[in-house]
Amino acid sequence: MTEDLVLPAPREAATDAPGEPLLEVAGLVKHFPVKGGFPIRRTVGQVQAVDGIDLTVHVGESFGLVGESGCGKSTTGRLITKLLEPTGGRIAYRGKDITHATRRQLAPIRSEIQMIFQDPYSSLNPRQTVGKIISGPMEINRIEPEGGREKRVRELLEIVGLNPEHYNRFPHEFSGGQRQRIGVARALSLDPKLIVADEPVSALDVSIQAQVVNLLQKVQQELGIAFLFIAHDLAVVRHFVVRHFSQRVAVMYLGKVIEVGDRDSIYTRPRHPYTHALLSAVPEVNVGAEDDEEVPQRERIRLAGDVPSPISPPSGCRFRTRCWKAEDKCAAEEPPLIQLSGNHAGHLTACHFPEEPTIEARDEDIVLDPALAALEEDADD
Amino acid sequence: MTSPIGIEGGGTSVIADGEPPPNAKGEDEQLIGRSPGRLMWIRFKRDRTGVISAYVVIFFFLIGLLAPVISWLYGKNPYTVYADERPELFDSAGVPVQPNGGISGEFWFGLEPGNGYDVFTKLLYGIRTSLGIAVAVTLATVLTGIVLGVTAGYLGGRTDYWISRVIDFLLAFPAQLFFIASMPVVVSLFVSPRDETPVYVRVVALILVMWFLGWMSLGRILRGTTLALREREFIEAAKVSGAPPGRIIRKEILPNVVTPILVQSTYMLPNFVTAEAGLSFLGVGIVEPTPDWGQMFSKASTELVMQNDITYMFFPGVSMIIFVVAFNLLGDSVRDAFDPKTAR
Repeated sequence: MTEDLVLPAPREAATDAPGEPLLEVAGLVKHFPVKGGFPIRRTVGQVQAVDGIDLTVHVGESFGLVGESGCGKSTTGRLITKLLEPTGGRIAYRGKDITHATRRQLAPIRSEIQMIFQDPYSSLNPRQTVGKIISGPMEINRIEPEGGREKRVRELLEIVGLNPEHYNRFPHEFSGGQRQRIGVARALSLDPKLIVADEPVSALDVSIQAQVVNLLQKVQQELGIAFLFIAHDLAVVRHFVVRHFSQRVAVMYLGKVIEVGDRDSIYTRPRHPYTHALLSAVPEVNVGAEDDEEVPQRERIRLAGDVPSPISPPSGCRFRTRCWKAEDKCAAEEPPLIQLSGNHAGHLTACHFPEEPTIEARDEDIVLDPALAALEEDADD
Repeated sequence: MTSPIGIEGGGTSVIADGEPPPNAKGEDEQLIGRSPGRLMWIRFKRDRTGVISAYVVIFFFLIGLLAPVISWLYGKNPYTVYADERPELFDSAGVPVQPNGGISGEFWFGLEPGNGYDVFTKLLYGIRTSLGIAVAVTLATVLTGIVLGVTAGYLGGRTDYWISRVIDFLLAFPAQLFFIASMPVVVSLFVSPRDETPVYVRVVALILVMWFLGWMSLGRILRGTTLALREREFIEAAKVSGAPPGRIIRKEILPNVVTPILVQSTYMLPNFVTAEAGLSFLGVGIVEPTPDWGQMFSKASTELVMQNDITYMFFPGVSMIIFVVAFNLLGDSVRDAFDPKTAR
């Protein structure tokens, strides 16, 4: 990479030894009440969006959080950035409890936790110029950078690959990818230590996705910012969480973390059946594979049905209703998130009957969808 | 590996890898973006109906503002009773002798039957009174609508529930009937019925009554718009930066609700003009001798004027039709300019 971009010197580098825990989340719970009834509306149920998750993000680490739609990934991100008030659990930033901190109490660390949003068409105020959008956070936190805010904004625009001359433009004059870069510049304007990126590329064209992911990766590595990268696309996460000393991925299902581990463990030695199913769903293009190694045939798992309603999740293991290995024990007892024998350190799985740590093809494909199974049987005959 | 980050050239959404396109110094001025408001102004200027209507509306406001100057140049005022001053111009019933309501080089729009006021100055001052009241009511309703609508939308929950119920309750009132019934009540709050009512009390009462039942539609629209804006991610981005609620409302929400405010107030103002005229016509608004648009209609519909001098109705009637039509067309054009996607 040949880039002579203006990168600010890392601040207070002495206090931030990589590997120290930056953000600790313990037993985080968020339930949304469901109101109903007439004439008196009362709470008739709880959407258990996030139901007791534990995470630790270390200084400078990139942490991927994956799961399908509605599993609580975005809610987790919004809880950590304090856009939502947790129902229970504990969030600590650098050891300081911020679970129920008010806006004023949060003020000193607000600038250290920033967020990149999903929809670049909704995350920029259409009435403000790019310059105002990016300098807004500095204005709110009364930060006067050397040389003035405008100079800093132009620097940031350059860092994210935009023309500094775009300072006086309005968001509607930019494409989706450019808008997302503006969003990144806004997040960087406060020199954060942790950026929660909530599906930052899912609203973009596939061709632009790679560029934005590369930008985030570059920012992450060169500025040493810890990332909590939320995505539903395992391929995007794999692409982001790479080439770095600390690279972990957590898989969520229905408000719970079911498996967490370093990148290689999750992608090549998964233990939880759901992780297997997710990985099997990632399309892979092997045409002219750039790696020299032989690409082995992958296992094939097709689940049936949808994620159960988070209003009344299944008892015990939440995945049991769609799992091919489910037994009575799974309904009766919730599997703890533990390190299974044969796993690397830090690779935790919540399953009573874990799979083999491989993603190579099995003797028989697992096809749980009866319609698909019938179709394939017909084709075989 | 080449750099994944292309410097994106000004003006294009194509991402150019590598060298930024050379930017001549002269092009720098073009790099200042056009704000949504500026784009709206450009679209509006292209709409001929809108521009003509705007000129007509401005003309009426100028007349209202400059009424004292014009009547000074013209040399008359609306309070002179020409039936006493110049009795030779009127017959025994008080109707102007000359045809067409006494239109002449001296009295451009004729004379009023009965008291013999000069119609031209009376109309000028009538427009002044009516527009003044309508503008005051519009300002008051817009302010109330912003405060209550944005508050309800932004805070949500219980506040939203109660403000919305108040809006529903007030919307259920029969407005015209309420105006007529409550005007004397409001006036009597200020002065005892036995004393003579000063003009300003009537004006204040009119403004109060129309404001009370006028702000709900705008309030409701702003509540809806704010509710939608509140869920947008740029509001969350401001919150993540630690912005206090006051700043979010001022800097993030208010600039984005300017459109409905402008569109709605251009529809509301002519409505208030007609409503005020209606009240004065019915005799609960402005009364003689204070000049007022609606009160001129009331005068024109009396038996004396109806049977002897139909010309008297002409000038206030035509001017009001022109004003209301022009203002409504202006409102349409403003809406179209702000929202070019809605085809009519």
